[in-house]
Parts: sequence; structure tokens; C-alpha cells
Amino acid sequence: MAAASWICLLLPLASAVAITLAGTAIPRRSTGYISTATTMGAFAAAVVAFADMAGKGASDRGAATTSWTWLSAGPYHFGLTLLTDQLSIVMMLIVTGVGSLIIAYSVGYMDGEDEERRFFAYMSLFVFSMLLLVQGGNLLLLLAGWGMVGLSSYLLIGYYQERESAVKAAKKAFVMNAFGDATMALALFLLVQHTGKLDYAGVFAASPHGGAVANLIALGLLGGAVAKSAQIPLHTWLPDAMEGPTPVSALIHAATMVTAGVYLIARCHPLFENAYVIADLAAGLGAATLLMAGLIALVQTDIKRVIAYSTMSQIGYMFVGAGLGAYPNAMFHLMTHAFFKALLFLAAGIAIHAVAGEQDIRKLAGVGKLMPFTKWVFLVGSLALVGIFPFAGFFSKDAIIAAALDRGWYGDVIYAACLAGAFLTGVYAFRLFFIVFTGEPSAFAREHFHSHRDQEGPISMLWTVGMLGVLSVVGGLIQFAPIWHLLSTWLDPVDAPIAEATSAQEWVTSALAILIGLAGIGVAWAMYAAKRVRVPRSVPLFEKKFYWDELYDLIWYRTGDLVARGFYALVEAPLIGGSIAAVTGVVGLGSRELSVAQNGLVRSYALALAGGLAVLTVVFLAVR
Amino acid sequence: MHGPDIQWYVVLSALLFTTGALGVMLRRNPLIILLSVEIMLNSANLLLIAMSRLHGGEDGQIFAISVMAVAASEVVVGLGLIVAMGRRNVDLDVDKLRTLRG
Repeated sequence: MAAASWICLLLPLASAVAITLAGTAIPRRSTGYISTATTMGAFAAAVVAFADMAGKGASDRGAATTSWTWLSAGPYHFGLTLLTDQLSIVMMLIVTGVGSLIIAYSVGYMDGEDEERRFFAYMSLFVFSMLLLVQGGNLLLLLAGWGMVGLSSYLLIGYYQERESAVKAAKKAFVMNAFGDATMALALFLLVQHTGKLDYAGVFAASPHGGAVANLIALGLLGGAVAKSAQIPLHTWLPDAMEGPTPVSALIHAATMVTAGVYLIARCHPLFENAYVIADLAAGLGAATLLMAGLIALVQTDIKRVIAYSTMSQIGYMFVGAGLGAYPNAMFHLMTHAFFKALLFLAAGIAIHAVAGEQDIRKLAGVGKLMPFTKWVFLVGSLALVGIFPFAGFFSKDAIIAAALDRGWYGDVIYAACLAGAFLTGVYAFRLFFIVFTGEPSAFAREHFHSHRDQEGPISMLWTVGMLGVLSVVGGLIQFAPIWHLLSTWLDPVDAPIAEATSAQEWVTSALAILIGLAGIGVAWAMYAAKRVRVPRSVPLFEKKFYWDELYDLIWYRTGDLVARGFYALVEAPLIGGSIAAVTGVVGLGSRELSVAQNGLVRSYALALAGGLAVLTVVFLAVR
Repeated sequence: MHGPDIQWYVVLSALLFTTGALGVMLRRNPLIILLSVEIMLNSANLLLIAMSRLHGGEDGQIFAISVMAVAASEVVVGLGLIVAMGRRNVDLDVDKLRTLRG
């Protein structure tokens, strides 16, 4: 099993290195095949590891393998350790499985781009980084993977490097993620100081219970989690990250990387249980984010941005689950979300690809009539997103919402927020669906629509989306909270939940959530499909995304600018600039005055020479 | 030792040097200035040879010969410049050549 884990981790790295080093020696299209094949190989290795693990007893499924001591500092030794246990195998399967589908899709999507090789090298690098993050056996390796997924995200958001907005979005994502990396690193310093270890078991056994230190550690980890998972207050980078190519949005900014924060909380849950205030804070941030993102998604006009806000909102649900202690439910939603959100992005990608790269839903309007396959898979994705039975989202989202009932009045408030969020999900998801995929095609869509050999897209894009569609339908069936709990049972040894709903609560919540979701769909239908209800005038607060960007601009940019200007006016201009001006002034004045002596008359020079000589002679004679 | 005492040579040399120096400082014709410089150089030569004879060594005489060589080269360059000036119809007056004024 250890070998399978290593193969799973190293295959994508090998692909990235090979594509980078080979350069033009391999054809452009082959790079896509190499990247796909290696990721699929990694998936196969993960399946082998999973099968091996499933054959063992529940208690000895986790296994850590250390290849060598990576870092030694005084009494501290941190090994290059891979931990393959119930939690990381789930993540490995999701990352490599969904990852290989999305990379296979990219072969068609990126065909004909200028720099396919670079794209696929980055994609492989990302898969490797994400696997390092989830497979790392200690927090140091997790932090390394954490930083590297941030790097590959940066590289892929800025893939269209000639577009200024893409470069800016990449920088924004990197800076906000670096902030999270920094708080996480601080938390790790505290852990090393107080426990002397960084491997999971050792840290969990020795970390302090309660008190300021435990809270600070959890807060630092939470800082990393909210930055990576785009939760309030470090969320503004995710919508901008849609500047990257669509497969990137699907893989990194929907299915895998942005859910790393949820994985972190699930992985380090003992640390959060030691600091329950911070865990509650995580749940509160998740609830606030899911509401805010849902409201913003109502008014966005860019198809990818709507889906991006829905991603923020869904991760908000996962944070609610993870923060309240329903870890298996959060991981379950992470998995189903990876399926249906990747599906939504890739289906949107087919439409964008077919209509000349257009992303504005007003221009894409009605394109569903021209692309029936895309329309149906998008509908499947949207139903799964809203959580309608029997699609995947139904099973996972309702379980999270129900678990909130187990946590007193705080849980009740969050419960209400989650149900409100479910209504918003119904509205924005089906606003998008009804505008883009129903009704008559707009003039723009009709004019720019291109079929690919009489199909809606290249074959590699269609079968992968079909696979994700199937997964979005059946993926949720592995667990139905009131009746069977395959995933919860599987994760129980590493992630025992501390918040569990009763069966009655599950049933009631599921019924409520479906009704509310249907109500949302109904509202969207009345406004955007049947057009019976006039669309309300848009609220500037939503259009401006709750003024977060403006707020950060005010706090960081304007303040920094003001301080810099102040220092310029008070320090630099008078002291540094002034002293330089004084030096040049003195030299200039002196040379102007002296130049009078240089009158150009040779005879006067001769006189000066002779006079000087005479004076010297007199002096020498006198001194002697 | 034949001939006049050393004082005479020193006085004559000083006179010649002063004549030359005054010529350089007072005259404006570059040709005359060049001649005056030659006079100064030769006054120095006279002193060198006189002292050399007084002390009975050859160093001063050898030195005088090298001064002559330097003087000859200097005259070549100086006269060349003056001829060039004449060809260009430039006034032979050093006070008018003031383009190097600061």
C-alpha cells in the first residue's frame, strides 16, 4: 500500500517534470495525453491503495511511511512522511479522479491554444501539490503542499499572461493565499513550541486543551483555511480567479483546491475541538459566506462568476459542517460538490467554447436550444447543486444542515441561515439555467455558435462531462443520512463527528430543504423562464459584492498610499532630496565662480605660472 | 680652469631666462613667443653646461643635449601649428585665440 501511495503522489510530478524538460521534443497535443494518463495512473494507484485498505480492519487502515528525515533542527526531526488513512484516501480519490476527468476535458478545451505544454505542466504540478497536501503525514508537509497549490493556482489563473486582468487576478489570489499561509505557519510555530512535534498523532496528543494558546493555534489554522477556501473575510480572490481557463476553474477553484480548508479542519479536528470558540467561528463564517455569496450570485452576469459564487456558498456549507463538528458530512459534501461543481463548470465551458469564448449570460441567452446535451447535463448539475432528490447534493447538503440542530441556539441560527441559503441556491442556480439554456437563442448566440464536427464540442469534452453527470446523479447514493452511512462509518476512526442529527431531524430537514429549494427554483422560473414576475431592480449592495473590494482598497491600499505620501513629503523630499540638491548647488556655484579665472588668454596663464614660480622661489629661499 | 668665473654664467643665464619669460608674457605674436621659449630653454642649457664644467662631471652636458632634442621637437610642433594658423588666415595673435575661455 505504501508503494501505491508513493506512485499516486509521484506520477503527476513526473509528468510535470517531463513536460517541462522535454520542451518541443514532444508534440503539443501529446502533453495533454501525458498529463491525463499520469493522473489516471495516480487514480489507479489510489484505487489500489483504497482496495488494500478496505481489506483491513477498521482500526489498522491508516499507515504512515517515512522515506527519509526531511528536516532536522536541534531536537526536532520532520520526516518526508506520507500518511494514507481513511480521510486522505478519500481526498486522493477525489483529487485524482475528478482531476483526471478535468485534465482529459482540457485536451479538447485547450486544443489550439498557444502554450498547451505550459498549461498541462501546470495542471500536473497542481495535482502533485494537492496530493502532497492531502497525503502529507505531518503539518509541515501539509504546509508545503498548501503553499504549492497556491503557487500552481497563481500560475494557472495568470495562464493568459497577456491579459492584464488575468495577471491582476493571479496576484490577488496569491497575496490573499500568502496571508493564509502566514497565519498557518504561525500556528505551526506555536505547535512546535508547545508540543515539539508536527506529525498529526503527536500534535493531537500533546496540544493544549483550551486557553489562549489552543485558540491561537486553531485561529491560525482557520486563517489558512478561510484564505484557501475563499470564506469571509479572505474570499475576494475567488471570483476574480475565473480569469483562468475554464478547466482550471473547475479543477482548482471548484472541485479540489478551494476545499482544502475543509480538509484541514477535518484533518486537524482535535485542535479545533480544543478551541471550540474558533470552531464555532468557522461555522459562523461559513454561514455568513453562504448567505452573502448566494445574494451576490443573484445579480452576477458572468456565467463563471455565478458558478464561482455558488462555489463559495457551497464551501460555506462545508465550513458549517466542519465547524460544528459534523466532519463526515462536510467531507461528503466536499465529494459530491466536486462532482457537480466540476460538471457545472465544464458544461459552462462547453457553451463558452462553442460561442466564441463569450461568458456574459445575456449574450449566451438561449444557447441551450443549440446544444441539448449541454443543457441536460447542466440541468443535472444545477439540480444536484440545489439539492433535489435524488441528485448528489440532496444527500450531502441536507445532512450538514440537519447536523446544525445538534448545537443549541447557535446551531439553530446557522440552521436558519443554511435553509435561507438553500432558497438562494435555488434562485441563482436556476436563474442561470433558465437564462442561458432555455428560451430562444439570442442573436449573438446564433451568430457566434460553432459546432465541432456537428457535435457540441470535441469528444474529450463530452464524455468527461457525461461521466461527471453520472457521478452527480449517483455519487450521493453512498450515504443517505437517516438510513445508511457508508462514508461516515469509513471515516469514523479518524473523523468521529461531535454533532449528529437524529433520524427525525434528518427527515424533517430533507423535506424542508427540498421544499425550499423547489420554491427557489419556482421563483427563478417565474422571473426568468415564464417571465410572469418582473425581475426586481438589482440592489447596488449585491452588484458591488458587499463592498469588500472597496473596503480592502480603503484599508490597505489607500492607507498605505497615504503613509507613503506622508513619508515622501516629510522625510524624503526635505532630507534626502534636499541634501542632494545642496551638494549639487555648492559644486555648481563654486565652479561657476572659478571659471572666471579661465579667461583663455595664454599670456595670463604664463604670467600666473611665472608668478607662482617666483612666489615659490621666495618661499623656498625664505624657509631655508 | 679657463674662462670667466661661474657667477658670470649664472648672471647671463638669469638675464636670458628673464628675457625669454618677459617675451612669453608680453608679446602676442606666437612666433615670437616660441622664440622666447627657446631662449628660456637655452638659458637653462647654458646653466647646465656651466655647472657641469664647474663640477667636472658629464651629467649636465648630457642633460643639455636631451633638452635640445626636446626643444627641437617642440619647435617642430609649434611651428607646424603656426603655419597651419597662417594657412587658415587666422590672425597671428594669441590674445584672439580665446575659445578655451571658461
